[in-house]
Amino acid sequence: MNIEMILLEAFAGILVLSALGVLLSRDNFYSTLFMTLTLVMVATVYALFDLQPLFVLIVFVFVGVIGIVTVALAATYRAMPERQFAWIWCIPVFITAVILGFSIFTHPLHGTGISSPIGFTLQGFLKSGSEYQLLFLFLTSLVILLFLSVIKLYRGEES
Amino acid sequence: MPAINLMSISLLYATSFAILLLGFLTAVSSKDLIRLLIALELMFGAVFISLIPLFAVAANPAFAASIIVIFTSAGELLVLIAAIVIQDRRKKNILVRDITAGGDKL
Repeated sequence: MNIEMILLEAFAGILVLSALGVLLSRDNFYSTLFMTLTLVMVATVYALFDLQPLFVLIVFVFVGVIGIVTVALAATYRAMPERQFAWIWCIPVFITAVILGFSIFTHPLHGTGISSPIGFTLQGFLKSGSEYQLLFLFLTSLVILLFLSVIKLYRGEES
Repeated sequence: MPAINLMSISLLYATSFAILLLGFLTAVSSKDLIRLLIALELMFGAVFISLIPLFAVAANPAFAASIIVIFTSAGELLVLIAAIVIQDRRKKNILVRDITAGGDKL
């Protein structure tokens, strides 16, 4: 086992532990901090696979904007909420885990020894004439529409 | 950089499933909207992890899908944050049990 695989396992362990911290922490503020740590570790896994553009996007857009707003919200409404939990939910979760595990185990990739590196470059993605420029246009329109809907929601509430 | 092989794929999917499961458990056990928001963000984190193996097969479509997932989920969570603020203004609390209807009106 090489050092990269050990690092990946360590990151995966921290990810699961911090996600467990979200579930087990009773204070929402600490839950948001654990959630932020989880998302930063997700971005770190992307960086480990040499996908730095996505590391930047996740850290700055997802954690930097939404995560911090969530932390601020949780700090504002800081309380010890009650929780509801039914152990009956464990049954469908266990069945899903078994089905997923079985399907991954029996996938044709198993045993063939396929090992392919990730060869992604941002320059290749953003080259001129790329069909993904249209995607960016639609995405920008979507984000503007979302912002407009939020403003409309908020102004409608004020009036 | 670790290569995408059976071991790393299994590890990534297992981690993704574990985070998704924990996010799901947080969502079903939440009684206030902030914990629900946290659970949704956690579940989106699981989606990000599960996208990594796709980069070994088709890097550019995977990057496009990742950008779409990041921006749409961020926008969706932004709408939920606005809804939490409005819920607090109307009901003076952020409890899930006080949400009685879906659709356009909160």
